[in-house]
Amino acid sequence: MSAETAASVGAAASGKAAARAGLVLTGVGYRYAGASAAALVSIDLRLEPGRVVGLVGANESGKSTLCLVVAGLAPGVIGGRLDGSVRVDGVETATMRPHELAQRCGLLFQNAATQLSNTTSTVFEEIAFGPCNLGLPAAEVVGRVWWALRTAGIEPLAPRDPARLSGGQAQLVALASVLALRPGYLVLDEPTSELDPAGTRLVAGALTRIARETGAGILVVEHKTDVLAQIADEVVVLERGAVVLSGPAAVTLADPRLVALGVEAPAAVRLERAVRASGIEWSAALAEAIE
Amino acid sequence: MTAPGSTVAGSARAGSTAAGSTPSIELDTVSFAYPDGTRALSEVALRIEPGESVAIVGQNGSGKSTLVRHLNGLLRPTTGRVLLDGRDVRPIHVARLAGLVGLAFQNPDRQLFAGRVSAEVAFGPRNLGVRGPALEERVRVALEEVGLAAEASTNPYDLGYSRRKLLALASVLAMRTPVLVLDEPTTGQDARGVALVRDVVARAAGDGRTVIAISHDMRFVAESFRRVVVMREGRVVLDGPPEAVFGEAAWPELRAAYLEPPLPAIAGARLGLGATPTEAALVAALVAALVAGN
Amino acid sequence: MIQADEEALLPAYVRRIPAGGYRSLNPLTKLTLAAVSAIVAFGVRGWTGPAVVLVVVVSSALVAGVLRRMAPFALATLPLVASILLVNTFLYPNAHDVIAVFGPLSPTWTGATAALQATLRVVAFGLSAALFALTTPIDDLLGELERRRVGRRGSFVVGSALGAIPRTVERAREVVDAQRSRGMDTEGRLWRRFRGLVPLIGPVLFGALAEVEERTMALEARAFTAPGRRTILRSLPDSGWQRAARWLLLVGSIAAVVVSLAGAVKLP
Repeated sequence: MSAETAASVGAAASGKAAARAGLVLTGVGYRYAGASAAALVSIDLRLEPGRVVGLVGANESGKSTLCLVVAGLAPGVIGGRLDGSVRVDGVETATMRPHELAQRCGLLFQNAATQLSNTTSTVFEEIAFGPCNLGLPAAEVVGRVWWALRTAGIEPLAPRDPARLSGGQAQLVALASVLALRPGYLVLDEPTSELDPAGTRLVAGALTRIARETGAGILVVEHKTDVLAQIADEVVVLERGAVVLSGPAAVTLADPRLVALGVEAPAAVRLERAVRASGIEWSAALAEAIE
Repeated sequence: MTAPGSTVAGSARAGSTAAGSTPSIELDTVSFAYPDGTRALSEVALRIEPGESVAIVGQNGSGKSTLVRHLNGLLRPTTGRVLLDGRDVRPIHVARLAGLVGLAFQNPDRQLFAGRVSAEVAFGPRNLGVRGPALEERVRVALEEVGLAAEASTNPYDLGYSRRKLLALASVLAMRTPVLVLDEPTTGQDARGVALVRDVVARAAGDGRTVIAISHDMRFVAESFRRVVVMREGRVVLDGPPEAVFGEAAWPELRAAYLEPPLPAIAGARLGLGATPTEAALVAALVAALVAGN
Repeated sequence: MIQADEEALLPAYVRRIPAGGYRSLNPLTKLTLAAVSAIVAFGVRGWTGPAVVLVVVVSSALVAGVLRRMAPFALATLPLVASILLVNTFLYPNAHDVIAVFGPLSPTWTGATAALQATLRVVAFGLSAALFALTTPIDDLLGELERRRVGRRGSFVVGSALGAIPRTVERAREVVDAQRSRGMDTEGRLWRRFRGLVPLIGPVLFGALAEVEERTMALEARAFTAPGRRTILRSLPDSGWQRAARWLLLVGSIAAVVVSLAGAVKLP
């Protein structure tokens, strides 16, 4: 039973990708309630279905704020003033209620523990929390839970107590519980920063798989540019609330201006730079060695 | 080494951080099990000489945090002993060991309570008996080290998470302990923050202090520490300089501990250049190979 | 309401239907029993009320297999019981049947009897509350209440507050560790100083407050504020006779209290 329902739910999700217009920010500025300075200035950003966009920048450059704006929680839940337009598949997010936004664009934070509801005794019920909130029929809730478990790669965790998971597992549970609302877009704010290397690999792998299998458009903030080099199609660089650099991941991450902007380049890029700087000629063998 | 006749606890209040008063640390077959029976450490035998800079790596749950909490007495071994300068620290209270071993926690929000950054940083040294101009000096220097000098009057919760972490680090630095233990100092930091932490470690090591850090950042580990201890399931499985621990012979053991060597080590091995755990080492090896080839 | 064939979709570890004569009663029935016990134990004059409650509670505990685990709860009532016994035995007003003479504060038989009865009431109530707590998982109760129209917010507030307790205890422990590592003395006489509380309570409080915004956003991101009724996945068995019994017990217990207060029927 669950395999069939899960498969059909998954098919419905990826079928959506072809028809969608993307999550588009046009001329977006944002100021927190009671703040004197704007946190975001004139941002143009486009999140396409099935693509992963990495967001980098020095701390306090506006990355977290941008995540909240993209997901519609700013100003929808936390107030503040938004200029410009944020459209999800053609519809302005300013017109949507938080629960409608949740079904269009999911948001994940750094700390998995604060995202668990702490009212459920199994991972299964934790992931069912969102669909149950929507009042969906039980059969559909169950189907979505299995689908989300499978997509996040955590089916064996279904009977476990959410309070007793490792950091990486908890993040994947948080991811699955947002996926269960079947958003067309996902925004993740430093999802791996508290995780060990194994947990980081799990989450990075899950994101790639989600983009590919569900057609979701993903925006991920990361300091670990090595992870972005692996999973991102495009990278956007923020400085003081504005986009200063953007383009294909490989190109942008190799841009020499990144250092001045407070962003560490991926290890392969740094190595190549160091080798070239010492006067050694770059060769195919070297390029292969740092693959 | 401490002067003859003085106690380990006595030197805790002395406050000097010259190499002469940095203690050696030894874990003598330490095992630890939590009250619910979980074994967190299994017969760990480790000796750290004064002034060493050691990185402890391993998966979450491998025992790293448990181990460092034994160094300042927060946890006491179930079996085995923890020795500072050869003396068992079991009878010494945590508050007194705090003057010898400073521990910066991973989550800064577990310690922040003051209304101002400067008051927060002053808490530690004040507990150690430092007052007046000496205290102000320590606070000022510590804040400068982490780049927060301009925020001395700010409320800690008005700072972003990464700067709160730097604040927590400053609070421990101001205590000027001969041994400095850092739990995940670079997580959540941007490039500038990581550079600050790197400088803090280098400066402390340069002052002759023992620096011990838990980290998941293999590049930071390879570049800033002279010794790497790899833990898995409560045991030490690898222990040596980065060249050895990230060298090809150790890769199976590393992978069994769910870790990957840093890219320069992998590249160096692929090119047959020997052990090159850092960018600098790889470049040097390449240059040497070219020169030899000519 | 979730239908029988939909029920079959849920894995067993989610359905979690309790087994056993007493435990398998609907949580609302168990709640009613606890409430009725309290009403009868305190409301009915004389020995009969608390005695009946005690008998019912102890036999239910036997059936449910939790009798041994009630011991700590019984012990917890000890301080209150001790003070009741002392106060009533020695200070009962207008009692003159003295047991032994100790000057102005002499123990009296009337006082002792009253003390014993009060003790019985307290113990009966304590044990009935313990029985309820030991046989009814909180999410069972909240789920049933929500199915009967208690709003999702109320249910969530209670559930998450309880869930927050172990987390807060854990956090407090970490805070104590962090501050001790900064030289704060918690062993020895300095521990008593009031000023020492701020570095301990502060981080627990501020940390919890700082999390509130993120938790709120996480809830919104899971459609918590969606309109309409929330789907309750788990349904616990209930029956006509249980529903009838709940009403009967409630009405009956109030009637018993009224009757005994009015003095219409004399019971020991």
